[in-house]
Amino acid sequence: MSSLATGLKGRAELGVSLLLGVVGILVFLDANGLVTPYSQSDPVGPKTVPFIVSGLLIVCAVLLAINVLRGGKGEAEGGEDVDLAHPADWKTVLPLAGAFILNVLLIDWAGWVISGTILFWGSVLALGSRRYIRDGLISIALSLLTFYGFYLGLGIALPAGLLEGIL
Amino acid sequence: MDVWSSLMDGFATALTPMNLLFAVIGVLLGTAVGVLPGLGPAMTVALLLPVTAALEPTSAFIMFAGIYYGGMFGGSTTSILLNTPGESSSVVTAIEGNKMAKAGRAAQALATAAIGSFIAGTIGTALLAVFAPIVVQFAVSLGAPSYFAIMILALLAVTAVLGSSRLRGFASLALGLAIGLVGIDSVTGQRRLTFGQPLLVDGLDIVVVAVAIFAVGEALWVAAHLRRTPLHVIPVGRPWMGKKDWSRSWKPWLRGTAFGFPFGALPAGGAEIPTFLSYVTEKRLTKHPEEFGKGAIEGVAGPEAANNAAAAGTLTPMLALGLPTNATAAVMLAAFTSYGIQPGPQLFSSQGPLVWALIASLFIGNFLLLLINLPLAPVWAKLLQLPRPYLYAGILFFATLGAYSVNLQAFDLVILLVLGALGFMMRRFGLPVLPLILGVILGPRIEGQLRKTLQLSAGDPAGLFSEPIAIVVYIIVALILAWPLIFKLIRRNRPAKKPLLPANSGAADYSD
Amino acid sequence: MTIVVGYVPTPEGEAALTQAIAEAKKSNDTLLVINSSKGDALVDNRYAQEPDIQSIEERLADQGIQHIIKQPVRGHDAAAEVLDAADENDAQLIVIGLRRRSPVGKLIMGSVSQRILLEADCPVLAVKAD
Repeated sequence: MSSLATGLKGRAELGVSLLLGVVGILVFLDANGLVTPYSQSDPVGPKTVPFIVSGLLIVCAVLLAINVLRGGKGEAEGGEDVDLAHPADWKTVLPLAGAFILNVLLIDWAGWVISGTILFWGSVLALGSRRYIRDGLISIALSLLTFYGFYLGLGIALPAGLLEGIL
Repeated sequence: MDVWSSLMDGFATALTPMNLLFAVIGVLLGTAVGVLPGLGPAMTVALLLPVTAALEPTSAFIMFAGIYYGGMFGGSTTSILLNTPGESSSVVTAIEGNKMAKAGRAAQALATAAIGSFIAGTIGTALLAVFAPIVVQFAVSLGAPSYFAIMILALLAVTAVLGSSRLRGFASLALGLAIGLVGIDSVTGQRRLTFGQPLLVDGLDIVVVAVAIFAVGEALWVAAHLRRTPLHVIPVGRPWMGKKDWSRSWKPWLRGTAFGFPFGALPAGGAEIPTFLSYVTEKRLTKHPEEFGKGAIEGVAGPEAANNAAAAGTLTPMLALGLPTNATAAVMLAAFTSYGIQPGPQLFSSQGPLVWALIASLFIGNFLLLLINLPLAPVWAKLLQLPRPYLYAGILFFATLGAYSVNLQAFDLVILLVLGALGFMMRRFGLPVLPLILGVILGPRIEGQLRKTLQLSAGDPAGLFSEPIAIVVYIIVALILAWPLIFKLIRRNRPAKKPLLPANSGAADYSD
Repeated sequence: MTIVVGYVPTPEGEAALTQAIAEAKKSNDTLLVINSSKGDALVDNRYAQEPDIQSIEERLADQGIQHIIKQPVRGHDAAAEVLDAADENDAQLIVIGLRRRSPVGKLIMGSVSQRILLEADCPVLAVKAD
């Protein structure tokens, strides 16, 4: 069990190196695709820096892969409210991300008041609160307050969506 | 001199009722987020960027200044009462501070921290007011090659010196530079890394990037690792100090200030090294060595002063050169950009009133913090009992709201989530976030200076070395890069000698 | 048989524990000490820390009382944890500490002890701190 777990953990960090490599290649291909006539006023051109960046990314990807395979390990970030003794709690994170995605999908159509309510209520729920009604009321109040606050205070009209005309 | 009258004008601006109100809001908010777990000044300023877009820049920066200093105060309160320092700069404070609190001297520990922070912050801000214009005078004479070199130095210093793994620091920096590339190239109008997506043409909004990395990434990361067993906060009354505490505190305060300011002003100084040095010094100089490790007041007074003086020091390169060296300064620099204000040495001449009002408000904020914090410490401690679901749901809610309100595009929220996931991943695998943010902010400016330099030299790379300052800076850069090697050689030759700073030895271990 | 005591590190909690020990001695029952937290905040001063629990452990062992100490952190409130424990163990008695509250305080806060008193299936002994 533990050897499998450590093996998986090692492999997970290789994902970082993979990401760096992929981004590096993307940056390289993108820069390579730029067509620029040489100009006296701009000898460096728009390609040079992307090439350097992609080089740095790929070098980091390779070195990181070597480092990880040789047993190197990134130190996970601690904090006041962080307990690294137990593994990542996906049962909290995934529903949180779900509430977030729901908000992204709904915001333009249903409007901020509805999508924001879902976002806050869903997040509070995902984080373990079980006072459904009180949380719901807080969510609605918060979305309404921010909607009017942004409109009246900052002059930013958040989308009203389905509630257009009511708000 | 000139500084004096400018500063007085600054006070006149900062003391208008409206701006004073923003200063009060700033210090209250700053202390609150400093106390609250999982929130920090950098995240708070990032979350406020969109909201403050409608404000006068001066008022916004006065508020940010309050948040910046307030965060330090709040951080020391929790490290003394809880022994779980939220930020690396208050780790040292917790060593003696928490021991004092456990021994029933929480009130004195909080008092020496607060008064020491006030004194160090005030002296530090005065030094900032004196030195920043001098740095500017020196800096305006520099050309593009020197700027290019200095910015490279700042990037490399933060990447290579801070954090435990240089390799992971560079990986983070490279990602940041890549994010900074997205959008239209300002010289040729070419689209870079937009993948045919018209919404990417204007580049990634720095507000969205900062909110994603500091707020969304952090909230998700903390949510995945919530502390399961609740802690106790040590009950405390109103902070106060006796005569003996005063006489034991004032020298450490001044020495801590002397350590903190210069380190903060250096490109990669940060607050960790000076707080540590201050602690070691106080331990050596104290007349009560038996108390160290059991709650010596000098061990709280010195590091806390160093911490706050470093915070003031950090603002020197930020305001004078446009070089941020910690997360909050980086986000404040992003705020300048989003107001359309060009940071750099020209800031003092182009935005003189704003800069001086900001500096004046640092003095005011410091004073307000002392006034507010001494009586309110027990109230702040209560904040720690806030239920987490509301705290982290609130961060996500306001992050979304802020990022969306910048352009009113749901697409920005997709970016927010993607970069938030990146921030999560970086925290999981020990990639520091500061180099990434600096890469995003400084990357485009570095590219600009590079192209200007080579334009002047008609494409000859020798142009990069055409100014003496540039050459000096490159030598420093080379030294920083070669440091682990030198370090190893020294260690090999003198194996008996222990490294000065245990915190730095990790950097050498990881780099090969 | 079992006696359940809801413990918090306050004078009321101590009073309840002392009373529960006396009861357990009298009837030679197992004492189940419940000290719970919802665990939804960084700080909860009603959740006993390690040294505190250790001293209770010693105290109970010294007096020769069969005991179990539980510190559930599952997001439930203290009343639910105590009632659950009583149900599961078929408790014959629940001992709790009462806090003096002003009428306004009662109105705003609701009350853990009130819920236990109303919902318990076995006798509840409520004690005050002296």
